[in-house]
Amino acid sequence: MTDLLIEPFGAPYMARALVEGLILGALCGAVGVYVLVRRLAFLADAITHTVFPGVVIGFLVSGQSGIVPGALVCAVLAAGLFTLVTSTDRVSDDATLAVLLTSFFALGVVLVSRQRSYTADLTAFLFGHILTIDRSDILVTAAVAVLAVLVLLALGRPLLAGAFDREWARAAGYRITLLDLVGNMLIALVVVAAVQAVGTVLVIAMLVVPAATARLVSDRLPVIVAVAMGLGLLGAWWGLAASYSASIDHGVRLSAGATIVLVLVAGYALALLGRVAHRALARPATATR
Amino acid sequence: MPPPVHDAAIVFTHASVAYDRFPAVEQVNGTVRPGEIVALVGPNGAGKSSLIKAVLGLVPVVAGSIVVLGRPPAQARRQVAYVPQADTLDPNFPISVAQVVLMGRYRRIGWLRPPGRADRAAAAAALAAVGLEHRARDRFGLLSGGQRQRVLLARAIASEPAVLVLDEPFNGVDVVSQEALLGAVRELTARGAAVIISTHDLTLAQSACDRVCLLNRRQFAFGPPADVLTPPLLRQAYGGAALELADHGLILAR
Repeated sequence: MTDLLIEPFGAPYMARALVEGLILGALCGAVGVYVLVRRLAFLADAITHTVFPGVVIGFLVSGQSGIVPGALVCAVLAAGLFTLVTSTDRVSDDATLAVLLTSFFALGVVLVSRQRSYTADLTAFLFGHILTIDRSDILVTAAVAVLAVLVLLALGRPLLAGAFDREWARAAGYRITLLDLVGNMLIALVVVAAVQAVGTVLVIAMLVVPAATARLVSDRLPVIVAVAMGLGLLGAWWGLAASYSASIDHGVRLSAGATIVLVLVAGYALALLGRVAHRALARPATATR
Repeated sequence: MPPPVHDAAIVFTHASVAYDRFPAVEQVNGTVRPGEIVALVGPNGAGKSSLIKAVLGLVPVVAGSIVVLGRPPAQARRQVAYVPQADTLDPNFPISVAQVVLMGRYRRIGWLRPPGRADRAAAAAALAAVGLEHRARDRFGLLSGGQRQRVLLARAIASEPAVLVLDEPFNGVDVVSQEALLGAVRELTARGAAVIISTHDLTLAQSACDRVCLLNRRQFAFGPPADVLTPPLLRQAYGGAALELADHGLILAR
């Protein structure tokens, strides 16, 4: 077992993948809890699509190194527009997101359809390239993680109040639109950081699945945050190890990013099963409470 | 003799309030004094909620003025506590009763400092004041509707407000919780807080409140319950929603 979980990371590229995966796992776990309590999974999903034109433009301007800055500009723009439009209370959140998502994505498709040499890099964008991550990618992810920790520590209480009871938080004098903007920007940053490793399609799983699993396990916010971060770490570690072992030892090629996600989803399935079993067993006891 | 200015917690002067650019309620006049409970009464859509939000500084006063503790409403927020309707909140939200009450201390705690002993003591005392100290560790959503409403009142009490604003706190609330809510509100008024309660319940307005503001798009009366909750005034304010009984009583449709 130790061989299976430790040995794969002897190779430098696997060690880098592990570092990136661990940072992302913890980061996505923590920010995912905010996504969960604010019910912003759809926003996170929309941002993964809205970064598309940014990726294309970034790539056209300065090749591979332009992808992250391009994605970042588009993600921040989309999160800002979303906050602005929804702050008026006139248009519902999901309608706003649908407009943003489709218009950004269509722009990306138009841009990419004018290119011929793009397909290989596009695959990396869709499914990530955690095995070829380099030092600067890791530094970007680490910087986002530090920023996220600072924001969550400084604004944790206002964000919690705003997520639980917006009208009360407004009446208490919190600037809800500003808090929304900070929270949405944080989600945008995390999405961009994670896109490199697991790709746009799977990043939503990194954000939502550990937090949702933790929610199944506990009702207490501090516990949920800790469990979500722990699950994110484990998912990255075991997912990478499983993908390595399958590919090297058994000749079955498993995509690293997708395997991480599958491990996370397996954890969710287990928690769900456990909860169902627990409920079935505990029903007579809870009824008297 | 009118009370001196500093004896008024909230002063409405020909106040008109707009909600989403449409006038919601106009020409509100009156004073809420420290230590008294004022009921906002009127049919659905009368503008009770809009007036409450104007006192909280969340909805603009478009004509006249509302002065809260000598200041514009938005600048008085730290001394004003709001109790929203409990059923507007997500019962699945992972938060404990104690955490909800502690929110009342957030503005005092500040941004980075963890809650101190005084904050926890104030939150615990507030929860005891509504009779729910034994539920502190339970998840908020597990409580009954009336108990949740009491927790939200405890959150307001924890902030040690000079003005307390409650939006329909008795909707769908059982008798035990109603008594607990009223008892805790009276404790606050005994310490000098001014209280505004919007309610559909005229009996409650009559029995529990010192004065009543009768609204329907405009103010029809503001004064002691016996003077305001009279069939002629209620008939005026409720219009077609009022059904007269043979013994000169009234039935009011919501």
